[in-house]
Order: sequence, then structure tokens, then C-alpha cells
Amino acid sequence: MKIKLLAAFLLLGTPAFAQADTQWALVQSTLTYHVSHPLHQVEGVSHAARGKAVCHAGQCDLLIAAPVKSFDSGDSNRDLHMLQVARGGQFPMISVRTHLPEDASASTTIRADLEIEFAGQTVRYKDVSFEQVTQGNQTRISGTIPATLSDFKIDPPSLLALPVKNEIPVRVEMTWQKH
Amino acid sequence: MKAKAAKFAVEAGVLLLASMLSVPLRAQAGGATLSGTITNSSGAVVPGARISAKNDATGQVSETQTDSAGLYNLPSLAPGEYEVGVSAEGFSTNVAKVTITSEAKQTMNLTLGGVLSLGDLGFSPSETQGNARDQARLDKRSHMLKIHQRLGLIATAPLIASVITGPLAGGRSTSTSDRYLHLALGSAAGDLYFMSAYYALRAPKIPGTETRGPIRLHKALAWIHGPGMILTPILGAIAFDQKSKGERVHGIASAHGAVAIVTTAAYGAAILSVSIKF
Repeated sequence: MKIKLLAAFLLLGTPAFAQADTQWALVQSTLTYHVSHPLHQVEGVSHAARGKAVCHAGQCDLLIAAPVKSFDSGDSNRDLHMLQVARGGQFPMISVRTHLPEDASASTTIRADLEIEFAGQTVRYKDVSFEQVTQGNQTRISGTIPATLSDFKIDPPSLLALPVKNEIPVRVEMTWQKH
Repeated sequence: MKAKAAKFAVEAGVLLLASMLSVPLRAQAGGATLSGTITNSSGAVVPGARISAKNDATGQVSETQTDSAGLYNLPSLAPGEYEVGVSAEGFSTNVAKVTITSEAKQTMNLTLGGVLSLGDLGFSPSETQGNARDQARLDKRSHMLKIHQRLGLIATAPLIASVITGPLAGGRSTSTSDRYLHLALGSAAGDLYFMSAYYALRAPKIPGTETRGPIRLHKALAWIHGPGMILTPILGAIAFDQKSKGERVHGIASAHGAVAIVTTAAYGAAILSVSIKF
């Protein structure tokens, strides 16, 4: 009788466990943008990103966001100018949304379609490649987003009448932890 | 009579058979139907979700919305590869690929992205919502500093020229025209300098920002070339007066040249500090 009850419990309970949501939280991140100018190569770094992933029925939704003013290039004057051209006063956040299958965590390479909101624009980047390494319940993900100024309708800033390059690749390094 | 009845029966039978045969043909001409249910990450149906199916080959887009039961129906789809997008208020967009075959009906159930918002990440509304006034302040600051930069660069030309013409104006054998040329160049440099300084000093400050990096050196050098640009013309005026009376430049006026050179050097270094990475 007891065995029958136990079997019934297991059979009835298993689908619920299989359907349970799992969550991931971003525990550490480094976002680095790169801007090229004939006289300068500039990199701005932010460690202020926050992120969350919610997985349900084999699909995960991720959201990562950081304040635009958190990017530090080592020059406050340049950072304020960057904030101005990126319309950071009106749109203070940069956010990235993506949708991944939960079993993507099993492979070393992820290819994701990203939806990025920045400077008041929403831009989609398809098939962006990321490398991942899992250690215990943490996963390190790194990759480069091939962003450009024109994608976000940003006029290229200039120094001494020379404009910066349109390409502003953003290097992403993140550590996610499963809850 | 019987013959007529038989004939009628045969004709009716042929008509019925023809109508039965024509139905599948009509269905094939109309295309396939894609339908399914849209749910959220918790499994609940999502009414009013927008579904679009874009044919990869032709670019043709078919659109519909889910009903109160979260069901959608996209009829008349030609066979091919499709990109199906689902979106709804408060959800992130979900996009999936599907191959429509020649079958009459295909089912595709989709789940909308979870309702993750910036608030879920712990950001407060004051962090996530900007305002036009802050942006206007940044815009004004950038605009004024751009003018400061341009006037400052333009000022270097008469400034360097006045340093070059200095020895001609102050030497043992000088002409009135040499002195006046030096005076004009120095005046032009001074006017442009102080106009440039005005835009730098009056550009709006952004609260909560700390001065870091090469801009600190740029601002520090202003404590040298600023007073220098005031002292240089004062000493120059005294020297000009002495030369006009036929005297040699003497006394405090003899420092005019040195002060001018130090001022120009500090000014040049200030420009380089924000132009080139040391």
C-alpha cells in the first residue's frame, strides 16, 4: 500500500518538478565599449550591470541592464560627452534582452539573438556568438556585441575635427549563478 | 419514368462526386493554416498577443491576434520557411522558425518571454527614468565646450605669431610697424583666448560627477596661462610705451617676453593634454 502511495506521489509529482522555474542571477560583469579615433583608442568599462534569467518549460528569458553613466573611460570629461551623445540624460539605461533554450547551458558556444535598448533606440542583433564555461553552479559567458553608432542613431563625436569610427564593439564578460 | 428517375439519380451522383472531389483542390489552392496557443512563462494563456508570420522567400507577412483563450489562427500560408514572431504588452518578443508544408493544418504553440523588467533587477525608477531637462543640460554643456575648443584652437595662430614677432618688436632696431603688428597679433590672441575661456567657465556643471583623467591637467594649466594672459598684455603695454619714447625696454616690462613664452607653453600643453594620450 505504502509502495503504491509512494509510486503515485512520484508519478504525480514529477511533471511539477519538470515544469518548475529556475532562475539565474548575474553575480559579476564587465562591459567594455571600444571607440576608435585617429588620435585615441578609448575603452569605457562598467562593472555596474545587473541581470536576471528566468527559465520555464525549457526556455529562458534573460535581461541585463546597466546605467549608461557607469561606463568609465578614465576621463570624466570624455565620459560626460559620451553621456550627452548617447542621450543618457533622457535614456539613462542600456539593456539587453535575449531568449535562449535552457539546454544552451550544456554547450561551450551560445548563439543568441539580442534585443538592445540604448540611446532611445531598440536594435536587434542576430546570431551573436558567446563562449561559456561552467564551473559548479556558476557559468562564465563572454563575447563581443558588434554595435555601431549608426545603429542607435548616434552622431559620431569628433576631436580636432576628426570623427570617431562608426564601430563601437562591446565586449561582455559575465558570471551567472543558478538559484 | 423509371428511365428519367435513373437518369436523375446518375446526374445527382455525378454532381455529388464532383463536389466531393473539388473540396481538397480548393483547400490546396488556399494554402496551409498555422495555429496554436500563446502562453506566458507561467503557462497562462495570453489573449491579445500579436502574431506575425513572415515568408523568408517572398517577404510576405501575415498577422493576427490571439483570442480570449490565447488561440491564434493564420490561414492561407503558402508552403515555405517562415519567421514567426509573437509579442504582447509587458512581454519581450519571441521569434521562432517554422517550415510550412503542404499539409492543411499545422500547430505551433509559443511561449512569450517572461515579464522581466528593470525593476526586477533592483534598479529604482530614479535610475531608470531620465528626463529632458538633464539631457538639455548635457547638450548645453557639450555645445559650449565645443565652442571653447574651437575658439581655443583658433587662438593658437595669433598667439604663436605674436611670440614670433616679439623679438622684432622689442629688439634694438625695430620699426613702428613691427611693434604695431606684434600688438595686433597679441590683441587678437587675447580676445580669442578670453572668449574661449568664457565658454569653458560658463558651461553647465553636471552634479555628481568627479573630475578625473587628463582634464585635471588641462584645468590645472589654466592657472598658469590664465594669469599669464592678463599679465602679458599689461607688461607689453609698458614695454610698448618705453619703445615708443625711444627707450630700451627696462624694469618690470623686460619680463614681458618671458611671461609670454611661459604663458604660450602652458597654453600649448593644455591643448595637448586633451588631444593626445600621453
